[in-house]
Amino acid sequence: MLMPLYRRTLLGLILAVALLPALARAQERAVVSKEVAVGRSEASLRLEFSAGAPLEIVFRDRAVTIDGDVVGSFDPGDAADAAWRSLLSEAVTLEDGPLSEMLVAWSPPEGLEGDALDVVEVIDEALEQSLRPSLPVVAPSVSVSVGTGRESALLQALLGQVGRLSMLQDALAEAGGAVQLHVQEDVEVDEGQTVNGTLVVISGDARIRGTVEGDVVVVDGSLQLLPGSRVFGEVRLADAHIVRNEGTVEGTVVDVLEDERDLESEIRARLRDELRSELRDEIRHTAPTSAARRFNPFRSVFRAVAGIVENLVKILILGLIGMGVVAFAPDHLDVVAETARRAPGRSAAVGVAGAFLLIPVWILGAVALAVSIVGIPVMIAWLPLFPLAAIAAGLLGYLAVARNVGEWLSDSGYRYTDWIRRSNSVYTIFGGLMGLMSFFIVGHALSVVPLVGFVKGFLVFAGSLASLAALTVGFGAVLLTRGGRRREYFPESFDEAWERAVEVEMDMDEADIEVEEEPGGSENDRPGKEKENDA
Amino acid sequence: MLDVTGRGVLTLAALLAIPVGTAAQTWRTVTMSRQVSGEDELRVSVSYGAGHFKVGAADEGVLYRMRLRYDEEVFEPRAEYDGNRLRLGVENVGHSIRIGKNRSGGEMDLMLSREVPMDLGLEFGAVRADLDLGGLSLTGLSLSTGASESVVDVSSPNPVSMNTATFEVGAAEFTARRLGNLNARRIEVDAGVGDITLSFTGAWEQDASVAIDMGLGALELRFPEGLGVRLNKDSFLTSLDSEGMVKRGASYYSLDWEAADRKISIDLNAAFGSVRVVWVR
Repeated sequence: MLMPLYRRTLLGLILAVALLPALARAQERAVVSKEVAVGRSEASLRLEFSAGAPLEIVFRDRAVTIDGDVVGSFDPGDAADAAWRSLLSEAVTLEDGPLSEMLVAWSPPEGLEGDALDVVEVIDEALEQSLRPSLPVVAPSVSVSVGTGRESALLQALLGQVGRLSMLQDALAEAGGAVQLHVQEDVEVDEGQTVNGTLVVISGDARIRGTVEGDVVVVDGSLQLLPGSRVFGEVRLADAHIVRNEGTVEGTVVDVLEDERDLESEIRARLRDELRSELRDEIRHTAPTSAARRFNPFRSVFRAVAGIVENLVKILILGLIGMGVVAFAPDHLDVVAETARRAPGRSAAVGVAGAFLLIPVWILGAVALAVSIVGIPVMIAWLPLFPLAAIAAGLLGYLAVARNVGEWLSDSGYRYTDWIRRSNSVYTIFGGLMGLMSFFIVGHALSVVPLVGFVKGFLVFAGSLASLAALTVGFGAVLLTRGGRRREYFPESFDEAWERAVEVEMDMDEADIEVEEEPGGSENDRPGKEKENDA
Repeated sequence: MLDVTGRGVLTLAALLAIPVGTAAQTWRTVTMSRQVSGEDELRVSVSYGAGHFKVGAADEGVLYRMRLRYDEEVFEPRAEYDGNRLRLGVENVGHSIRIGKNRSGGEMDLMLSREVPMDLGLEFGAVRADLDLGGLSLTGLSLSTGASESVVDVSSPNPVSMNTATFEVGAAEFTARRLGNLNARRIEVDAGVGDITLSFTGAWEQDASVAIDMGLGALELRFPEGLGVRLNKDSFLTSLDSEGMVKRGASYYSLDWEAADRKISIDLNAAFGSVRVVWVR
């Protein structure tokens, strides 16, 4: 890892302090459970230890989180994402000890820079902090002297924290030379006294009147540089402060945590800006502001025209299909249309019931076919063909109702429906489709006019209702007539039934009379014959 | 143990998964594992709806290792461990059933510990299952499947004795090999519809009883030579090809029944199907 010296030192020290309470169980802190998840938008690692909190590092939705805290951002496929996924691909194959060793040994790949490097370094630190305890200890190679106010606490720390001491050792090694480490005790360097090397004070206060030849590091405490004091190295403070600074520091005074805090707030600010920018883009693309609409009159016209053209294309497509039906299955269309006209209530009820039963029938049919070896090939055909048949039935029914609507419009005598020729099914289908779609077309046309949005909404609702009703009635009529193959006339009104009955009798009489009186009778006296002649 | 309703739900979910649409899936791969940590015995429940399901033995020190590939918009993985019980598998996200999602690419590859004795329950729907239970220390086994194509192999002997191994098979093509290695005192097979092959080869450590309840379909019983077999058949409209067996009273016996070191007694209840006995060397 390429971290500044003070960071490495600080990392070791903070770990040493932060983990003191849990030291007794440090050796048991092995990886007992691992979860690696990789998806298109996510790559995550979750480690569970025998003791202590689990570690969870997640790359998801462009954010990088460690234990739920956002630590950075990434773009799918960028260098940080690729490095992380590469690490996970290795982690998948390993368990426990080898897994820990691999994760600790991992370091940001070469070539990373900028934000990607920052993110990966944070991850690297998190992994090391969590996994270091389980690594073996290497004998120290630097001169370290330790003083403590509570020897029992330090002893307990040393006995329980064998693994983590290696990190502290590494950190102190970076300090170079001799190190005086004081834990939980105040330190005083008297006038004329010289500390050879680095002075480290953890959870204590340092009062310096003399000389420190190396650095002074204070964690969780305070530092007083009294008159005449001199520090030849740097002063580094972590969660600590200088009470008085009347001495001489040859190096710099660094508040390390402030640096970390700055980094964190910088990352958060950047994330916030990116999020804000993305949201702004999203809103710009999906929901144009009212101001934009106000100042862009062509937008509404363009949308209205597009909506009208879209509906006209639908009418054209459905009409062409209707022409096909008229050409190839006119009788079926007649039967369905007749049933829908004569029994719309019953057709609608059957249509609703049929719509609800479609999916159960489809599934049950498939199950029934699947249980037999012979049925499995049939099931393969059943699965796609049944939905297609249902769609075809709905289409046929809709066109039949559209034809009825067209006939009604033709009979209505409206000014703009004169062109619909009742005797030609193609005309009546196109006319009916225009009628059913007219709600949408008018709605789109009205959308050009400002402040009539509610009217458009009402028209769209009415059009949807009309289309749904046509579809339901038509589908029911198709079911009742078995696809137009069985005539399904329903009880007519008394007058209609009487007329039909009389008409049949007259035809019969006419036939009889025709046979009997053909040689010399007057054919023009018979109304039936008149009709025939007219034809 | 998954009841009939449960198996039906799994099967239905699988049927709904048949690809009819072009909706894009969001595939996610999850690998989960846990180390052995002094467990004396473990109850393991595994459930899986649709896809390719594999089970095998894990390396030393690993309690389980599960690799899942699934559509994250439809499923989410499940791994619960509480010291003596382990539940693994996938479950539907939310309460809605989505139609038209292709789950045929789903996979579940599960490896279980050889060291920890376990009572294993496997429940799966419409899956293609390859289960190798060889090497696992099974104190109990319960397998329940819906409409699936399943192969269960016990490739090496179970080091611990098992009371009962239960197989509930719905509408399926089911093959069980080397059942002798299960080291079970009793084996129960409840098959609905399909082609069932039960191979009683393997190392029989003890005598055993077997109960087979067969619905509609073909059943093939494969016995190793030298194993004493007694077959009690209670059937309706079922043909029996009892090669290598003689009928005494109401039961069929293998030719060397008296002299066999290990004996199994099979109670067969079948309807509308065929039963075929095959002897293997």
